[in-house]
Amino acid sequence: MGLTLERPAQAPGPTLPRPSSGSGRGSRARWVWGWAYSGILSVLLTLAVLLGYLVTGIASGTVDWAALFTSSTWNPGTLAFGGLAMIYGSAAVCVLALVLAVPIGWAAAIALSEYLPPRLAKPLRLSIELLAAVPSIVYGLIGIMVIRPFVADLGDVPGGDSLLAAGIVLAVMITPTIVAVSVDALAAVPGRYREAAYSLGLTRREVVRSAVLPQARSGMRAGVLLGLARALGEAIAVFMVIGRADGRLPESLGDIFASLVRPGQTLTTKLAGPEPMLAGTSGPYFAALCGLGVILLALVAVATVWGTRGSTGRTARAPRARRSSAWLRTPKDRVTTVVRLGALLLPGALLVGMLGILLARGGAALNPVFWFSPSEGAAGGGIRDQILGTLLLLATTALIALPLGYGAGIVIGTRASAKTARVLETLTVAIGGTPTILLGLAGYVLFCTTMGWGRSWLAGAVVLVPVVVPVVALTTAGRIRSMPAEITEAAFALGLTSSQYVRSVVIPYTWPATLTGLLLGLARAAGETAPLIFTATVFFGAPALPTGVVNAPVQALPTHIFTLSQDSGAPEAIAQAWGSALVLVLITAGLLSLAVLLRNRFEGARRWTT
Amino acid sequence: MDDVTTGATTTDKMVDGTVIAVRDLQILDGAKRLVGPVTFELAAGSTTGLCGPSGAGKSTVLRALVDLLPHGLRRQGEVEVLGRPVRYGKGDAHLRSTVVLVPQTPVVFGGSILDNALFGLRHLVRASRTEMHDRVEQALREAGLWSEVSGRLDTPAQTLSNGQRQRLCLARALALEPAALLLDEPTSALDERSRDTVEESVAALRGNRTVLLVSHDPAQVERLCDRTVRIDLANTCEPSPAAV
Repeated sequence: MGLTLERPAQAPGPTLPRPSSGSGRGSRARWVWGWAYSGILSVLLTLAVLLGYLVTGIASGTVDWAALFTSSTWNPGTLAFGGLAMIYGSAAVCVLALVLAVPIGWAAAIALSEYLPPRLAKPLRLSIELLAAVPSIVYGLIGIMVIRPFVADLGDVPGGDSLLAAGIVLAVMITPTIVAVSVDALAAVPGRYREAAYSLGLTRREVVRSAVLPQARSGMRAGVLLGLARALGEAIAVFMVIGRADGRLPESLGDIFASLVRPGQTLTTKLAGPEPMLAGTSGPYFAALCGLGVILLALVAVATVWGTRGSTGRTARAPRARRSSAWLRTPKDRVTTVVRLGALLLPGALLVGMLGILLARGGAALNPVFWFSPSEGAAGGGIRDQILGTLLLLATTALIALPLGYGAGIVIGTRASAKTARVLETLTVAIGGTPTILLGLAGYVLFCTTMGWGRSWLAGAVVLVPVVVPVVALTTAGRIRSMPAEITEAAFALGLTSSQYVRSVVIPYTWPATLTGLLLGLARAAGETAPLIFTATVFFGAPALPTGVVNAPVQALPTHIFTLSQDSGAPEAIAQAWGSALVLVLITAGLLSLAVLLRNRFEGARRWTT
Repeated sequence: MDDVTTGATTTDKMVDGTVIAVRDLQILDGAKRLVGPVTFELAAGSTTGLCGPSGAGKSTVLRALVDLLPHGLRRQGEVEVLGRPVRYGKGDAHLRSTVVLVPQTPVVFGGSILDNALFGLRHLVRASRTEMHDRVEQALREAGLWSEVSGRLDTPAQTLSNGQRQRLCLARALALEPAALLLDEPTSALDERSRDTVEESVAALRGNRTVLLVSHDPAQVERLCDRTVRIDLANTCEPSPAAV
């Protein structure tokens, strides 16, 4: 899911003359612009399909919206569809996640940007970027294996399935996102503000509070909203630890805390469960599920769009007028330093701990046999077929998403007027922020049911395309905007048509950024589980590579980890799950390192992906 | 740490003495010498010009004095402020409220003109609202900005012109009643008219405040300074008597 955070200062892109239809140039111009516009069309189409799915779903039966928002009874047998417990569940886990992640994330970001010397901060920043891209299925696995037992010990929670466990998993998952985006916002504050404040005799704490934070605040808030969007839309990691108990609401205000250590259900876990399969494709049951989808989509869209908006160009607010006491300045400064550096320990420990757990428990993955031998289900064996399946899905997705995303990026970056560009960009951001579970459900209804493909690898690959396209498009558009205006001017001064300009100026200038975007998007897609479970993957029994399209599922790493971890009794299964998780992390880390390498090499615009 | 509000009294006490004494100050990047050795003294109440060609490291010297060197640069040599040797590397905020650097480009923080004028003061001093207001007013008068902003202290500081901003930065520093002011090319980012107004303000400080003024413009140094310290690219420096 790709979201822009920083827009380059030169907001309006180069405006181009309309393509001329000079003889001999016309067909090529049509080809180039056909390609570019089909990219933007794909974004609009995705949105249309998604909304179409939800709206037709709702229209196919009557949705009792009042009950959906106020009742907590969910019983398809009696056609009672109340969503309040799920809304409460979603709210509870997100609030928990934010309460845990925001203070730590912000403090760690401040420590990274304002306290650590660059030599230390740089590699740490990179590692946190890597953490932010770890697939959520891996966080889910850690949740089920580590956090759930921890919660079970902590309170009297049988098994540990609870809202609290889900909140902690989400907190762990979004902390790197919050840190990474906040560090970017802090780094964007010009050094002269710090210098001016330091030279007035302020301590570091005072400099951060009065000079740096007022400038970085909106960017840091955007980081939180992106984290919130991620937490709201996350299905699988929550699914694995929340217990999925319907109709649980706290009985009184005082019961809220107690309710946190009980199992619950969120909007996403309901949709990721078996019910969408059972509900068919019409009728009140299906309509109610679509109603839940609409609520979820609306919540996530508000968080993403608001989050992306928040960081653009608004001037910094005044520092609070409160006069601070001149007493105890130095001790206060020291305490703050310790607290902030201490906060950095947590993400650091997270990184080390996660690598440690993965290496210790997934050590099997370091054996080449594990990579190259076929699986024997839960009993052991290797994961050759799962790796092949994942690579097949990724390659197909990349093939479809690269041209579409590139085209959309070119249109946003060059063709559109400032206003249209903003609208298109917001739509792209919204697509990027869509919970993938909804993409999966829409894909399931469209491809697997309506078009009769059954479970098909191609359906899975297509469902992953909207995950990748926004990242590619936004990175490309950002790069085009950062293009020096002289280049554009020089090109047109030589009499190039706009399509020639795209081919000989824009593409050579932007391809590294575009490829970086593609790799970042694929790293995200590699770990997607929720949309694949319905559409494309099976745990066992599919051939290594499919031979057709209809009823041709594949096996893939995320599904493998998901299924094995659900069946967490057998030690072989657990070892397999950890090994697969390590392989998946290695694949994403590989994609990401390539992206970082490209970015550093060509200094592409910095873009954030959630 | 000592209370920081003593800036004013110390200045008065030191009127006849030396505010800053720099001996054999060198700035190194690894083993490479970037600046120095530089030796000079700032007499209380004097305006001293620090000049030299661009790239000679004039601004770096100022930053070295207040412990704001960029990462990777080291300083060597001795610096005394108000007769006491400075121990660098401690993130010493007290030093920076005693010797205040005014950077080259005016930096205006979010908030009103008053917020900006109070920016350093409100952290350093515990005083009543009226007292603070009085100090700010005095500083703004000293920087020659009072007459232009007295009626609109609550308007955003972003509405000020560049020259006004620079004088606001000057006032912000003056409000701390520092023992010495370090001005880093205060007019180089300004157009001609604003330059004149800022020069007027700096000229008005002469005799009352201890100022070290960095400038690449010999004529400006001549106009504003009692004496000159020259840094050359040849990495040497010599104090030269200047026209008063």
